[in-house]
Amino acid sequence: MESQNRLWRVLLLALPILVFSVLVIWPLLSSFYYSFTNWNGFNRDYEFLGLRNFAKIWTDRLFFDAIVNTTIWMAAALVLPTLTGLFLALLLDRQVRGARIFKTVFYLPICLSAIVVGQIWIWIYQPDWGLLNTFVKLAGNPDFNYAWLARPDSALFAVIVAWSWQQTGLSMVIYLAGLTSIPSEMLEVCEIEGATAWQRIRRVVIPLLTPSTVVVVALSMINSLKGFDILYIMTGGGPFNSSDTLAMHMYNESFKKYLMGYGSAISVVLFLIALTIIGVYFRQLRKVDEIYG
Amino acid sequence: MTCILRRGSLGTAIAAPLVTAATLAFADGHEVTISHYFTGELGLKAFQEQIDRFEAATDYALKDSPVGHEDFKTDILVRASGNSLPDVFSYWAGARVQFIVDSNALHPIDDMWDNAGLDSVVAKSVADSATMYNGSRYLVPFNYHYSGVFYNKAVFADAGIDELPTDWEGFVALCETLNANGVTPIALGSMNRWPAQFWFDYLLLRTAGPDYRARLMAGDASYDDPEVHAAMGMWKDLVDAGYFTENANADSWTDASDKVARGDAAMTLMGTWITGYWNGLGLVPGEDYDFFPFPSISEGVAEASVGPVDGLVMAANAANVDGAKAFLEFMVSNADVQAAWSKAQGALSANVNVDPSNYNSVMLKAFETVAASEVFAFNYDLATPPPVAEVGLSMFSRFMDDPSKLGEILAQVATDAKSAFEQ
Repeated sequence: MESQNRLWRVLLLALPILVFSVLVIWPLLSSFYYSFTNWNGFNRDYEFLGLRNFAKIWTDRLFFDAIVNTTIWMAAALVLPTLTGLFLALLLDRQVRGARIFKTVFYLPICLSAIVVGQIWIWIYQPDWGLLNTFVKLAGNPDFNYAWLARPDSALFAVIVAWSWQQTGLSMVIYLAGLTSIPSEMLEVCEIEGATAWQRIRRVVIPLLTPSTVVVVALSMINSLKGFDILYIMTGGGPFNSSDTLAMHMYNESFKKYLMGYGSAISVVLFLIALTIIGVYFRQLRKVDEIYG
Repeated sequence: MTCILRRGSLGTAIAAPLVTAATLAFADGHEVTISHYFTGELGLKAFQEQIDRFEAATDYALKDSPVGHEDFKTDILVRASGNSLPDVFSYWAGARVQFIVDSNALHPIDDMWDNAGLDSVVAKSVADSATMYNGSRYLVPFNYHYSGVFYNKAVFADAGIDELPTDWEGFVALCETLNANGVTPIALGSMNRWPAQFWFDYLLLRTAGPDYRARLMAGDASYDDPEVHAAMGMWKDLVDAGYFTENANADSWTDASDKVARGDAAMTLMGTWITGYWNGLGLVPGEDYDFFPFPSISEGVAEASVGPVDGLVMAANAANVDGAKAFLEFMVSNADVQAAWSKAQGALSANVNVDPSNYNSVMLKAFETVAASEVFAFNYDLATPPPVAEVGLSMFSRFMDDPSKLGEILAQVATDAKSAFEQ
């Protein structure tokens, strides 16, 4: 019986493992391999460069710009969807009228593809007739036509806002689920003891939401590292590389400059960074698990 | 278990004939695989019509997989890296073809070219510049475009302009007149960077000349040279004078074309594909819009025309070599195909046997302008290797964002381009 079960396990796992190996493991290993070459994507007669691609990274101005932008993106990803999601969850957790409709509306963006979200925000940011500039014009600045996505000072932040708008619904739902697990008696006791609303949130609700926060932060962090599609559609890393993240820089080097070997080296570095972050995250997760069970 | 076996048998029974049929089609050499970037509503329909003509005239069957223009650049690289290029694919003549020829990814077509007598079919200027790489022919030109200054005739008339400029002083005076009449003279939509390249191309070609430009494109001159500073300086003067529309980097080329069509701006430096776009909006060539060639600047410099040549190439490991060659030959040498295609696409035909009366008045003028040019030069991103073109294209949008940093931008580009050439 046991051996039959084992056979079934192997059989059922074989296909997913095969798919995962072909679509994830094999490309990953290939990237490692090509990162040591000068392959351009077309040429089969590439040369081995040893560590020269990795050495070149340290002299690549755009790589360091991309590191800075990726760091900004990740920092914003940790703060914006987390805070706005928490705020909306606290607001909607109270039995306000139409809460269910609002929950659906706020959650809706996460159901849209990043391409659709990107296109909506491109229209919002359009300098001549976009929603944002129209509001500014109506507010008393009729000549305002700032090009949010076309200026290097604002392009990255404009994309981060759009991305956070999409992610907020997910954070909100996770926090709403977390809020249901907080015993109402505990909050009632606090109220009887004279704690203000802010004190209840600050001292009771937020600490008890820590497991939810861990999930929200993890998802935001992972999604920010994956955040390529919305950037691709909104700015493509532009104007003039000012909104390049590491993933976008890797894409541009590989597919626009045809430097597949160098692009692979960047992808290896990105992989190691992601691995480190995920490693640290799992360590923290274990600690949270020990405290909250 | 029996059930699984039965299903397996059924699957095999269904799949086997399909696989066999596909294999036979493949083995028989009837199927030719092709990928191209002619995916606009008009382009896709017109291309399919030409495929139908080919299939009707031969016993080949084409398996077509079109990909959008910008996505095509990535798609074809992905297919090449997976060693699964189609037999035939469209590509831009110039440095991009040179790049993949150097990578041994294309099949030479000298024998087909000679057997089909294409020397007497393809315009010599196009054949010389677009088809030969490393001493062999690799590309058949499918059509080509010309870049000129396209303008709104009503806006010019309202501003009292009855004479088109032929030199730089005349062009600047024209801009000044339009400005004084409350119309922004020049629309530029450089969101996708490439539309800005024509300004650099023409200013450099008209001042430093085609030979210097060819050296710069090949890495034998520097972006920090006085020639480049002079050309970019003239562009800067135009921007500083307020002749360009605001937020050029926020507009696409169609946004800029719309501004000219609506009369919000007077003219735009663009390729002849704009005629297809404007005609689709209901504008009448020659009545609503026209063009004039980019004005002369320095005396004694050869007059060059700038534009891309769309071609068809054959993969080095094409499965159906004969079918691919037959398709390439048919698409360029059949005058009916060429006439129908150039008409639908708003392009110029590379086939000398196409009757020029097929062109509307604007396209005919473009055809004659190219014919009278001493040099036909590929636009920037097709004239220099892709890694360098990326550096230059970003330079144009950075310049349009803040022209005051021109010196700093050129110094940086000189370093980056040198490094890109070394790669």
